[in-house]
Amino acid sequence: MSNDSSNPKKSSLSLQQRIRRSGTAIWKIFRRELRAFSRRPIFLMIMFVAPLGFLWMFTSLMQSGLPTKLPAALVDEDDTHVTRQLTRILGAMEETHFVLQTKSFTEARKAMQRGEIYGIFRIPKGTTEAALTQRQPVISFYTNDSYYIAASLLMKDMRKMSEMAGLAMTRETMRARGYRDDQIMGTIQPIVIESHPLGNPHLNYSVVLSNLIVPGLVMLVIMLTTSYSLGNEWKRGRQRKLYNMAGRQTWVAVVGKLLPQTMLYTLIFWLIDLVFYSYLQFPCQCGISRMMLWGVLAVLASQGLGLLLFEAFPGMMRMAMSACSLLGVMQFSLAGFSFPVSAMDRPFQWLSNIFPLHHYFLIYVNQALNGYSISYAWTNVAALVGIALLPWLFSFRLTDAFLNKDYKA
Amino acid sequence: MIKPKFPILHVGWDELCEIVKDEGILIFIILLPLAYPLLYAMIYNTETQRELPICVVDENMTARSRDLIRRVDATSEVRVAAHCTNMEAAKELMRRREVFGILQIPAEFDLRLWRGQQAVVGLYSDLTSMLYYKVEYLAVINVAQELNRNIKVLEHQTNTTRREEQLARWPIRFEEVKLYNSAGGFAAFLIPPVLMLILQQALCLGVGMSMGRSREHFRGLVIPPSKHYKNTLAIVLGKGLVHFLLFLLMAFYMAICVTRWFGLPQLGHFTDLLGFFVPYLLACTYMAIFYSSFIYRREDCILLFVFMSVPLLFLSGVSWPGAAVPPLWKAVGSIFPSTWGLNAYVRIQGMGASLGDCRQEIMALWVLAAIYFLLSCFVYMTEIRKSVGRSVLN
Repeated sequence: MSNDSSNPKKSSLSLQQRIRRSGTAIWKIFRRELRAFSRRPIFLMIMFVAPLGFLWMFTSLMQSGLPTKLPAALVDEDDTHVTRQLTRILGAMEETHFVLQTKSFTEARKAMQRGEIYGIFRIPKGTTEAALTQRQPVISFYTNDSYYIAASLLMKDMRKMSEMAGLAMTRETMRARGYRDDQIMGTIQPIVIESHPLGNPHLNYSVVLSNLIVPGLVMLVIMLTTSYSLGNEWKRGRQRKLYNMAGRQTWVAVVGKLLPQTMLYTLIFWLIDLVFYSYLQFPCQCGISRMMLWGVLAVLASQGLGLLLFEAFPGMMRMAMSACSLLGVMQFSLAGFSFPVSAMDRPFQWLSNIFPLHHYFLIYVNQALNGYSISYAWTNVAALVGIALLPWLFSFRLTDAFLNKDYKA
Repeated sequence: MIKPKFPILHVGWDELCEIVKDEGILIFIILLPLAYPLLYAMIYNTETQRELPICVVDENMTARSRDLIRRVDATSEVRVAAHCTNMEAAKELMRRREVFGILQIPAEFDLRLWRGQQAVVGLYSDLTSMLYYKVEYLAVINVAQELNRNIKVLEHQTNTTRREEQLARWPIRFEEVKLYNSAGGFAAFLIPPVLMLILQQALCLGVGMSMGRSREHFRGLVIPPSKHYKNTLAIVLGKGLVHFLLFLLMAFYMAICVTRWFGLPQLGHFTDLLGFFVPYLLACTYMAIFYSSFIYRREDCILLFVFMSVPLLFLSGVSWPGAAVPPLWKAVGSIFPSTWGLNAYVRIQGMGASLGDCRQEIMALWVLAAIYFLLSCFVYMTEIRKSVGRSVLN
């Protein structure tokens, strides 16, 4: 939020009088802004309906958490009692659902190209024969990595099963030789990897993804509406009137103008927190009130970035909004959940630091997901505060725009 | 300036002039589709996470545990960045985000293996990115399976011949094949659908801005008071034609240039691509024209269309598996060309499918194109009536 205290001209008034005067001006602009909202249905739709719609959409879209029962095909070219036993084992896999059983690989490949399945498990001709005569049969699986998440899940599942199928064969041999089951396990799988995804033991991606996408979309809307509502003053040629209403103080004008939005979006963030952590019981190790606090910071930082971009193109509403949308859509990539920031090229690693969403997401992981002390994420908190205050440094551009700039289409 | 005589061409020519004159529209129609794909491709250009720093807590300190650590360090996925003496120190590194995973080898690791019992190795992953867990798990499980085979063959089973040893190691061999994206990279997965989404969004923004501009110029009407703007069909076809042709160029720029520059999968035949682009772009153009009729100011279109990009990507079922999308959201998604277009493009260009393989998507796109075309006609019909009414009043 902008905060311009460099106004020494009114030194004849006492501090108390000045505060009272600014307060009245802010209140006047605040009410004027509320009236403006009520006249613009599109504005209301974007501010209310869109964020709540996203909340509903993303929580119901990913209701089931990790996707299970992904469609795959089983190509059994051998078709003997041994391979059928194997297919029954495969049918028990959690993430895989064989919707197509066929003898022809071409048929399965065609189904994949039609988008009906994400993976193919193939038992080639002669598998049984090779297994019975100890000639090392080869089974193969194919995943369609054009669909990344589905392919990764299927690959993990099928790999496990293939490995198990091999181990099962050794187990049968050893049982025949009279080994005990615990001895057998010590032989065929001596080292067991126990994985612990921290803070989210069920690998429920929807939890983390919702916590990134929904606040991210609200933050994008905040940036857009910040530059939209400010730019509208220039568009309607009322910027000088606003400036005079604010007692010729830039910060009063900006605060009065943006305060209604700050309050509204804070409430939306709190509602999101309530739905996530209280109603849907998403993990929140730091307590819901903490997350509400970080939500306020995220709102302020997003308004700060929106304001900063407006200062970069003073009075040019459309350019400012274009810049907001460009950065606002990019922030989802640079937050680093789906593809880690640490794997990107250096310039993008630096760039990721200007996005409030990146910092908010890291704070969320630190606080709600892992329950660490906030001291480990103090840089992110500082960054959010910094982004929120940054427009203050360039407020002279806004003052200049109030006085000298006109709307440029 | 010579103006074409046919109403369709006249309308088209006007639209083109307006686009060229207006830098706001130019940004969305030319710059956005040209530059944004490059930006996105650069973000994901590294394809996958390599050498992710992890930390090792070796409570065992034997030759075997060190062997395990060396093998894990040697994988391309992770790198052992720190050795800690206890879990608390390792967790501290994790909290400070210096490492993104912990591999814990228990004190009785070697002892249990010599006893012929199972030893459990713990892997703790940070979830800041969903790729972290995947690469760590993959690296460690590969090493563990290799070691398991060695232990089984060299320590437990007495094999007489080399062949027998091989068989004991791999009673069944398996091979995994990643189709259509052999490196399992992120760019090859995400960029193709994003390209198509950019086409649709750029069209919506460009058309929306031009409509908003018309409404501002002609006092709330989307058509100028001119004798050429009396025929609904001519207006709708003329306006659509310009945007359609312009974006056909952009589509091929993406499908050929961007795809080649960044080494993305390129299996589509020209005719198949054309057969897909025509219905896709028609559907997008007329959807843009229809939804833009709700826009009364230039800048409103940014508010209305930009934030839709991310939800549309999810609804398409490309990033979140389509099989896991609930029916309600499938229905909502089906009214947007992007839902069908993203999938069809991924299949044609990424997987070498023919038009016949994407019959359902192509049909849906033609149906959407027809519906949005009729809706656009309806919009312009009412607009013409309004404009006639106004001129009578004047």
